[in-house]
Order: sequence, then structure tokens, then C-alpha cells
Amino acid sequence: MRRLHVYLLFAAVVLALVYADRLNAYWMHVAIIAMYYGILASSWSLLAGYVGLFSLGHTAFASIGGYTSALLVKWLGISIPLGMAAGIVVCCALGAGIGWVCLRMSGPYLAIFTLGFSEIVRITLSTEDDVTAGMAGLRTETLFHSATRLPYFYVAFALLAVSLLLMGLLVRSRWGLFLRAIREDERAAGASGVAVARFRILAFAIASGFAGLAGGFYAHYIGIMTPSVGDLDEMAKLVVMTVIGGMERLPTAVGGAFVVEAVLELLREYGQWRLPIFGIVLLLTMRFARNGLLTPVWLGFVRLGEPRVERRGTVRDLPQKDSAA
Amino acid sequence: MNWEYMLVQVVNGAVIGVIYALIAVGVTLVFSILKIVNFAHGDLYMLGGYCAYYVIEYAGFPPLLAMLVSMAALFVGAIVLERLLLTPLYSDRTERKDEYGLIVTFGLAFFLRNTAIIAFGPFPLKPPSFIPGVQRVGNLIVTNDRLVAGGIGIVLILALVYFMYRTIWGQALDAVSQSRDSAAIVGINARRFNSFAFGIGAALAAAAGALIAPIFSLAPGMGVLPNIHAYVIVILGGMGSVTGSIIAGLLLGEAENLFTAFFPDPTRAFAYTNAFGVLVLMVVLMFRPQGLFGRAHLRME
Repeated sequence: MRRLHVYLLFAAVVLALVYADRLNAYWMHVAIIAMYYGILASSWSLLAGYVGLFSLGHTAFASIGGYTSALLVKWLGISIPLGMAAGIVVCCALGAGIGWVCLRMSGPYLAIFTLGFSEIVRITLSTEDDVTAGMAGLRTETLFHSATRLPYFYVAFALLAVSLLLMGLLVRSRWGLFLRAIREDERAAGASGVAVARFRILAFAIASGFAGLAGGFYAHYIGIMTPSVGDLDEMAKLVVMTVIGGMERLPTAVGGAFVVEAVLELLREYGQWRLPIFGIVLLLTMRFARNGLLTPVWLGFVRLGEPRVERRGTVRDLPQKDSAA
Repeated sequence: MNWEYMLVQVVNGAVIGVIYALIAVGVTLVFSILKIVNFAHGDLYMLGGYCAYYVIEYAGFPPLLAMLVSMAALFVGAIVLERLLLTPLYSDRTERKDEYGLIVTFGLAFFLRNTAIIAFGPFPLKPPSFIPGVQRVGNLIVTNDRLVAGGIGIVLILALVYFMYRTIWGQALDAVSQSRDSAAIVGINARRFNSFAFGIGAALAAAAGALIAPIFSLAPGMGVLPNIHAYVIVILGGMGSVTGSIIAGLLLGEAENLFTAFFPDPTRAFAYTNAFGVLVLMVVLMFRPQGLFGRAHLRME
């Protein structure tokens, strides 16, 4: 059974889809929101984990995607999927722009720049209240008019699955190798013939597009858009999720989003204590298990079907960066 | 638009500029020694403000003494945090230190801000004034608190400049910032100076927090915007340049206050003031990443 983990995953997906209607409304909502964060976390891990572009503007793109879609649907009366597509296009274009502008920046400079970008987006969205309704929130068309959340669950599931599939294909392709080469050493990558500039812009555009997709879905699921969707607290939450899960792999990033969102809900009775606790967990993860808490779990899972060969003294137990996804 | 109104704006701008500079020199100091951008600096500023508030409230200290206590407390606290969290930055085995420094300080900021909401409550608090009352010159009114904040801020900045350029410890700091290895050769313990720089930065931020508290008030989220402003200043003045930060701090304080005064739509002026600072930051990063007074050896690779 070489590909046991794939079959297991597939079985889990089928079970989840078949038994989804057993979830009560509350946990259904939690699951949908977790999938929203899953798309954001995986696309952020594509940007920060794979290419090493530590952008703090990722949730700003989600809010741009959401507002674009909501406003276009409201003004032009176009259908919601079309609006979401428009949101994705706008985010891709803006993301490419940001990627181009900060080509020369690295590490903290890029983080500061994108932080600035997200602040400008947030301030503009909350100040231009005759267009965006400001902090009061913009009412949006919802995707379905059904009494249950089940259709949303399936849509969120499909969006997450398609996003993961596309990003997974990207990171396993030759291009994915280029992206990781840029992370390790930009100059060495350039010297080996990787078009660094082009791939940095591309990575920004793609990741922002997925953020826009997530934002568009969020807008038409919740039914209200506020500027706080893209604020610094949301970004911090996203960083917590992705880093705790493991930012260098897409599945662990999504797993981080699921686990953190679920635990946040389970610990609801502890109220505000939950966030500082996750802050500590994040710090401990960075300090002692930088690859993320779910990475060993995922690697063990991937190796499930492989024949157990005892290879003493080999590097088998070291985290293997290149066996991603 | 009359001249007196503008003069008030200039004075207010100068006071805010001094406070900004006080926060920004901490960021720049930490950057030049530890080579990281501290994303939790604004939250140390917030903690400093609260610390001074509680010292006044429960120990009954006069505000000025409370500010000193708060500076000392943050100095020690920051050194503890640096020892606990930032030591991997000095190890050769740590890969991609930029990323490590970023995520750890960002996580620390998240932790401190959310802990502050629980510990201090979400509602704004206001400590007593340093010296109650206002000063009038003609029709011009400036509160004493602003004058005190500006005055003490200037004293602290001058003390820092003296320390950096005229004392052996300051020169040792400068040596570490230029070359860790060469500093080690002449017998400077670079590790000790890492802690020291982090502590000094935090103490200055604490002073800024204590000084600003009677003017605006204290809130757990108060550190976010000054943090961004500190980056604007540090980028504008050049990473690692203390003088640059001071000049850029004053420039930004003035520019923002005049921007608010002259923005065509007064209902939105205040909101866009912050966006204006950030816009300056982005433009400088795009066209002159080393800043106005950047020092070549401190450019980030």
C-alpha cells in the first residue's frame, strides 16, 4: 500500500461529506469558518512558507476580495459567482502589483510594507463609509436562501479542495521547486536560472487570488462585510494558525487552521484567555518546534503505507523538507 | 486658516514628534544590534503606560517617579523576554533568522495585546496629569501635559544621544552594531549588549507610554498605531540611525498634524492622518529603502 495515506484521506473526505448533515448548526458554522481560514492559511503558507515572502497583508486581500464581490453584486446586479470571480481577478492584479513593488524588499522590510498596505486598506474601507458602510458593516447578498448551512458547507469544502489541489499541483511542479529555491537563497536561485522577479510576482498574485476567493466566499456566507475582516488581529490569528500547524506545508497549514479554530470554539468558556494561550503556544512552537506541531503528525501519516525498513544511522527521522504535500 | 491655529498645530506636532522619536529610537537600536525588526515594540510602549498608571494608582507615586519605575520595570522585563525568546537568533544553527525574529516578535505582540485586554480591561484609563492646567500665549492654548511630555522626551533623547556617542558603553553598542566579530575580538561581550539594547529600547518605549498616557489615554490596542509610526520613522530616518530617527520623528509629527489641519474634508482628516504616515512609509520603502540618513553597514541584506 504505497499510497495508503491518499486512500485514507479520500475515505475521510467521503465520510465527512456523507455525514455532514449530522453536524448541528453551530458546529457546521465552525467547520465552514475553519475552511475559510484553511484557504487563507494554505495560501499564506504558499507565500510565507514556500517562497519566504512574509506578507502581513494577506487578510487585507481577503477583505478586498469580499468587498469587491459584495459591491459589484450590489451595484451591477451580477450573479454572486461572477462577483467572486471579479474579486479574485482584482486581488490577483493587486497582489501582482504589490509583488512587483516590493521585489527589492526582503524579510522585515516586506513585512512592514505589507503591514502598511493592509492598514491603508483598512483605514480606507472604514472611512469611505458612503461606499462601504464603514464599521457598521456592508450588507451583502447571501449565496443561498436555504434554512440550513449545509449548502455552504459543501461550497466551502469544494473551494478548499480545489484551492488545495491547485496549490498542491503548483508546489509539486517544477515551479514549486523554483519557489522554494527563492526562499532558500534568492541570489543562488537567480544564478541557477530561476527568474526570481517573475516568480515572486507570480507567487504574490496567486496567493492573493486565493485570499480574494476566501474573502468573497466569506462575504456571501456571513451576509455582512466589515473592515475588521482584514485587520491586524485577523492577520495575527492567521499567523498563529499557520505557524502552529506548520507553515512549510500546505496540509499542515490547513490542519493548523482547523485545529486552532476548533480549539478556540471548544475553549469558548474560557473567553478571552484563549487568545493569549495561543500566543504562548505560537511562541513555544517557534522556539522549540519550528517546523510546526502538525508536521511530524503529517509526515507519520504520509509514511503509514510504506514498508517499514530499519535503516539505522540514516537521516530518516530528520524532517524532510522536500517530501512536501 | 489663521496663524495661531497653525502655531498650535506646530507645537502639538512637535510634542507628538518627540514621543514618536522616543519609540522609534528603540526600534532602531534593537534593529542595529539584534538585526531584527521588533514587531512587539508598540506593545512594550503600551505596557510602559499601564505600568506607570498602576504605580501611580496603587503605590501613590508622583507621575514622574512612576515613569522612572515603569522604565526600570520594562528594562528588566524586556531583558527577560529577550533571554527567553530571542537567543536562537545568535546561534549559527538557526536557519532564516529574519523569519524567526519576525514571527516571534509578531507572536509576542499578539500575546501581550490580548493579555493586556484581560489584565487591564478593554476600557481606556487615564492617569493623573503631570502638572494640571494649561499655558496661554495670546489665544494659543497648550496643555501642561503636552509641554511636560515634549520636555521630558527631549531630555531622554539627549541623554540617549550622549550615551551613544560619549560613553564607553554607547561606543561598545555601536561597535557591536558594526561588526559582531570585531567587537568580540576587542573584548566586547556581544550577547550582553543584545540584552542591553533590547532593554534600553523597551525602557524608552515605556517612557513614551507613561508620557503620552495623560494626553491621550491608555488602551490595550494603543500600541498598534505608534508601532507603525515607529516603522515609518525608522524607515524614513534610515534603519539603525539614531539621529535619523529623531529628525524623522519630528518631521512625521509635524507633517501629520499639518496634514490634519489642511485636509480638505475635515470629517475624514483624522482617519486619513494615519494612512498618510503609512503612505510615506511605503513610498520611502519603494524609492529609498535605506532612508534619508541610512548607514551603509546596516542595510538589510
